[in-house]
Amino acid sequence: MTRHDLMSDEALIEVVQRGDRDAATCLYHRHIDRIHRICYRIVLDSSQVPDCVQEVWTKVFQNLGRFQCERSFAAWLNAVAAHTAIDYYRRWKRQGSRVDLDEIGVESLASDERVDSRPLDDATIRRQIHQALEEVSVSQRTAFVLRYFEGMPLAEIARTLGCREGTVRTHLRRCLLALRARLTVQLNQ
Amino acid sequence: MDNRRFSLEEFKALFPGQFESPEQLLREYRSFQAVFEHLDSTPVPELSGEQKAAIFRQSWQGRRQNRLPLRIRLGAFRRPAVTFAAGIVLGCTLMLAATSVRAGWSQPRKADLRVSVRPPGGDRTLIVEHAGGTQVYQGQLVDGLYPQIENPKIVIERTEQSPPKRVLYGTVNHGGIYVVWNL
Repeated sequence: MTRHDLMSDEALIEVVQRGDRDAATCLYHRHIDRIHRICYRIVLDSSQVPDCVQEVWTKVFQNLGRFQCERSFAAWLNAVAAHTAIDYYRRWKRQGSRVDLDEIGVESLASDERVDSRPLDDATIRRQIHQALEEVSVSQRTAFVLRYFEGMPLAEIARTLGCREGTVRTHLRRCLLALRARLTVQLNQ
Repeated sequence: MDNRRFSLEEFKALFPGQFESPEQLLREYRSFQAVFEHLDSTPVPELSGEQKAAIFRQSWQGRRQNRLPLRIRLGAFRRPAVTFAAGIVLGCTLMLAATSVRAGWSQPRKADLRVSVRPPGGDRTLIVEHAGGTQVYQGQLVDGLYPQIENPKIVIERTEQSPPKRVLYGTVNHGGIYVVWNL
């Protein structure tokens, strides 16, 4: 344990702003797993996620001076990650990239008969979740990820996405319905 | 199922008034609970230690390299400024050149500064002599212009005593046409 491990995020940020690499390392390791999860669930392609995560952290280190302590660093970081992942996903899609399911380690299904005849394995479930999340817009997906995976309040999500809470509820509803349609209907055929 | 993550109250808030009976509401709620169970069964694969280290290293370096795009942006901003400054310098140079010429014209006449331009081979079509603020034109060309005058010459002289005028005036004096200018 280093002296930085005992410091709060806000105290670490002050040290990082002075160019302390060790403090930056400590701050990074505190939050990297959460940021990676957010990016993974928004971008939906494991081959793209490291680049997206790097983009997030580059922005974070570049813009630490803009962070205001009245908001928690984790919330600010989540917002940066969400915005960056949305932008990354849209840019990547504009370039004509297609999500390759094989790249995320999902076993492709040969036919519907195979679904019926085999027990539901993790790969099948992951594939259905992936397809369900692909069906909804990236904003809807982001709202879902922030709400149900990161436990962010609706107001904070609305602030992050720049919309009203009612819009966030609509996003969540559509995402939930898409997931249920994939997971409880198709998998239980 | 983590009820705190997707509570019944939140479910009711997301789907208000869409169910005919409490039983249907609970049935629907359980179907969404199953969705979350599936989500929980598919955790996100973690980054390896090497990936984490590489991401940090590149991000930390990228923080410093951010100054480069800023410079490019400033460069784009500066480009017109540089052009403007270059224009100022060019203008000043031209002004300096112009004032130097004027200063040269207004310098006191010196006999030893007399410069005569004579074509090689004895061609006397036009002979031009410069002396301070005075230019003298003579030769066959001027002879043809003024045949009634013996050995005519055109003297253009800048006056120094009079204020600037926009009208040239000339005099004929012993075969010389004197044009006095002070524009």
